[in-house]
Amino acid sequence: MKTGLSIFIAAFIALGTSWCGFVLAPLLQLGSAQQTVILQTTDNWPLQRTGAATLGLQVYRAYGCAACHTEQVRQTGSAFEVTLTSLGNQKPADFIEFTKSLFVLPGLANYTNAIAASLNGWNGGLPKTLLTATDKDVATEMADRLKAVGVKSETAIIATGPDIARGWGSRLSVAADFLYDQPVQLGSLRAGPDLANIGVRAPDANWQLAHLYAPKSVTPNSTMPSFKFLFEVRKVGASPSPEALNLPKEFAAADGFEIVPKPAAKQLVAYLLSLKANVPLYEAPFTPATAAK
Amino acid sequence: MSDENKSSSVPSAGEPVATRSAAPMWIIVTTLVLLFIGGIYFDRHSGWFNPKVYAPYTSAENLEGFQPQSGAAAALARGKKTYEAVCGICHGPDGLGKPGQAPPLAGSEWVVAKGFNRLAHIPLMGLAGNIKVAGKDWSMNMAAMGAALPDDDLAAVLTYIRSAWGNQASAVEGDDIKKIRSGMGGGSQPMTHDMLMAMPE
Ligand code: HEC
Ligand code: HEC
Repeated sequence: MKTGLSIFIAAFIALGTSWCGFVLAPLLQLGSAQQTVILQTTDNWPLQRTGAATLGLQVYRAYGCAACHTEQVRQTGSAFEVTLTSLGNQKPADFIEFTKSLFVLPGLANYTNAIAASLNGWNGGLPKTLLTATDKDVATEMADRLKAVGVKSETAIIATGPDIARGWGSRLSVAADFLYDQPVQLGSLRAGPDLANIGVRAPDANWQLAHLYAPKSVTPNSTMPSFKFLFEVRKVGASPSPEALNLPKEFAAADGFEIVPKPAAKQLVAYLLSLKANVPLYEAPFTPATAAK
Repeated sequence: MSDENKSSSVPSAGEPVATRSAAPMWIIVTTLVLLFIGGIYFDRHSGWFNPKVYAPYTSAENLEGFQPQSGAAAALARGKKTYEAVCGICHGPDGLGKPGQAPPLAGSEWVVAKGFNRLAHIPLMGLAGNIKVAGKDWSMNMAAMGAALPDDDLAAVLTYIRSAWGNQASAVEGDDIKKIRSGMGGGSQPMTHDMLMAMPE
């Protein structure tokens, strides 16, 4: 075996480089990740989950929810939006007349139709979105021109992409979102909707419980399996339990029985409600809807 | 060549021998070209392994361009940064001050006063002598720590200290600071408690 050493060295280099690429580089890149701050506030992100929600992550993992659900919102771009907030002492008609003088500017010429269309039939109601889906230079130029004539505007940054259009989140998911997830349940297949933002989309715990017990009871035609074993069907005691599910007739328990969630179901729902992807971070900037006054 | 073969010390003549030949030139060239193209692609799209840069952002500068820059919230963020760099050393990042070094700003009646005229004079002119802050007496000196700050930055700092740590008071604009600065007159004497009380709030 004259070539034994060379084979060993070649194998060592091959395995060593992939170890560096798959283990060492991510560790150097993200290993020291820490809580960050929500953009333009002093609040921390993410917050440690409550005890029940932390246990809920293990329930989520144990029942293989990640086989059908992802927890990662994707974003394909970012756009700027200019919204009029005050006309100063101008009349709406004067303002529309004024916007026509903007169209000769090289940066804004391409937006002539868009601006004219958005002002068509406008009666002066505020706030009024003037420019959408534009880039930073155009938005800044527009805002500066408006400011120069005493008109106030706000510039918002909007994340765009199919996931965001579906309401699955306000921005892309980033590593910081998963800081307290052990293990991270990214998922890779979307038989069901993405759950990264489910705590904002469906914040009602009773809805979540009913959905887990019998998905069809809240979403007709749902193909999600029901997780009935997370619930207990029992005889109604002296008085009905306050936790009992309130289901439509065909899903409800027989007369004299009630359906109550077991601890695992409550933990799972606590976890689901903790899933939020709606705050701006440095690495995922956007303007939250509430901030645009 | 043939001489060399004969003088080989390997006894068994029939055994096959591994030989060497140079790799063909086209493989080397293709590999180098592919590496070069990969390098260019990487250069344009990777953000250089920066853990803060994710697609669709292509680089740290690109991401920086998408940071919100206007509005009240941006002024707060700027105020926080400036505060921590300039005032935080003495008054603390939590605004609680430090015994023997500086009085608190959190809950200080000077900070959350209705008007900010007196408040703005403190970093612009400095402060000396006895002063009561949140029920406690202080008698120290503060230099004109804010005199060198641009109007906008000082306004942002004051806006920040008036709204952080549970303080709740109105925001301060750069133009306000400009007005106060131009009305200050020439003197460089630090403010005292009596001088502050003599001017409008
Ligand atoms: C076999 C695939 C499958 C599995 C496994 C699965 N789901 Fe679903 N899930 C779906 C489908 C399909 C939908 C969409 C229909 C609906 O809303 O019921 C859905 C919808 C949901 C919704 C509502 C989403 C929305 O936007 O309205 C939630 C919440 C949810 N699933 C949670 C879970 C949890 C928690 C688990 C694990 C206990 C789980 N799913 C396991 C397929 C699955
Ligand atoms: C070198 C330390 C130091 C720095 C830096 C400093 N201060 Fe002060 N500050 C003091 C001291 C000491 C006093 C109390 C002076 C006295 O007793 O008369 C004070 C008092 C004050 C007061 C009035 C009392 C109170 O707590 O409300 C305000 C307001 C204030 N400082 C604001 C600021 C601002 C704004 C900055 C940053 C631009 C700043 N200070 C930077 C030391 C400092």
